[in-house]
Amino acid sequence: MRLQRSLEACKFGIINYFDALKLQERLVSDRKSGKILDAILSLQHPPTYTLGKRQTDHNLLVSEADLKTMGAELHYTERGGDITFHGPRQAILYPIVSLRDIGFGARNYVEGLESVMIEVASFYGVNAHAGKTGETGVWVGDRKIGAIGVRISSGITSHGLAFNIDPDLRYFKHIVPCGIPDKGVTSLKRETEMELPPDEVIHEQLIHCFAKVFRFSDIQWKKQ
Amino acid sequence: MALKLWASSAANALRISCSGARTPFPAFSISRCFSSVIDGLKYTSSHEWVKHEGSVATIGITDHAQGHLGEVVFVELPESGVAVAKGGSFGAVESVKATSDVNSPVSGEVIEVNPKLTETPGLINSSPYEDGWMIKVKPSDPSELNSLMGSKEYTKLCEEEDAH
Repeated sequence: MRLQRSLEACKFGIINYFDALKLQERLVSDRKSGKILDAILSLQHPPTYTLGKRQTDHNLLVSEADLKTMGAELHYTERGGDITFHGPRQAILYPIVSLRDIGFGARNYVEGLESVMIEVASFYGVNAHAGKTGETGVWVGDRKIGAIGVRISSGITSHGLAFNIDPDLRYFKHIVPCGIPDKGVTSLKRETEMELPPDEVIHEQLIHCFAKVFRFSDIQWKKQ
Repeated sequence: MALKLWASSAANALRISCSGARTPFPAFSISRCFSSVIDGLKYTSSHEWVKHEGSVATIGITDHAQGHLGEVVFVELPESGVAVAKGGSFGAVESVKATSDVNSPVSGEVIEVNPKLTETPGLINSSPYEDGWMIKVKPSDPSELNSLMGSKEYTKLCEEEDAH
């Protein structure tokens, strides 16, 4: 007998990194206390660079002042993973789920997030794969198309995945993405031969795949 | 499925307990049923263990926890002198692009922090109950230990979680 588990999917447009962080913190707290069920946020960010808990700012190749000139923000976060860039036309999913309730550990969860991006890439004829050990994320050849950085607090996840639909890849030149030198970044637009639908469609596909991989029985959609 | 049930009852019957020698971690999924649980330690439902000896409580994460995390690449620990509260986070472990908060099973003051974990965070994977210990705490209320799980209860919790 399979338990019915609902996923609440909240769709946003472009929201500021700090605002998204505050929202996630509130949701994690509510999820911890059982006030809400598992949820997933779907959004995009304005140009933003973020660092993980290890604060590997040696992988930022320009000064913070230069970032400001470019119109990009820099944030230090508590998530795992190295430095990365978020920007418009990059699909972001922040699942706020209880790992215990979905029956996953940290490693399987990250692998699950990888498989979500791999599957959506395949809808567009793009053959993506998970990275080698130590190179988490989703790759097409040796070009990275999707990144993952997760935080787990008392078994509740926050942060999540970033999937390049068609962001301005020049922003990645200012960092050593994910701390892995000599590997490029790419996007769905670059890799596919098909015409892409509006971003919203791709966001929804990611959410549907997420629900399938993590065995949710239904999705409740909420638009913000 | 049958194999998993067999493995689970075998592990239960054997109540695998190791005194330090680490067996290599098998790569396939039924290995979860062989997560070692040590007698004499106390456990939390969030997979931390605590060893109480006199006025010192040594704390770390369990074999089950490290197996589910994957390779630990970074450990964030508090400084000596910091106060910890039962159930509150005292640090985090990072593995595979995920950082997981680690909670203290008891309240008290941190008196020692494992210096080896900065250089060798993988000790948490290879030796979760010994070389991979995380902090030592002077408990402010030793009776808090009474509400923690013993090895039998904790083994059962692991099995229930893995049977998902």
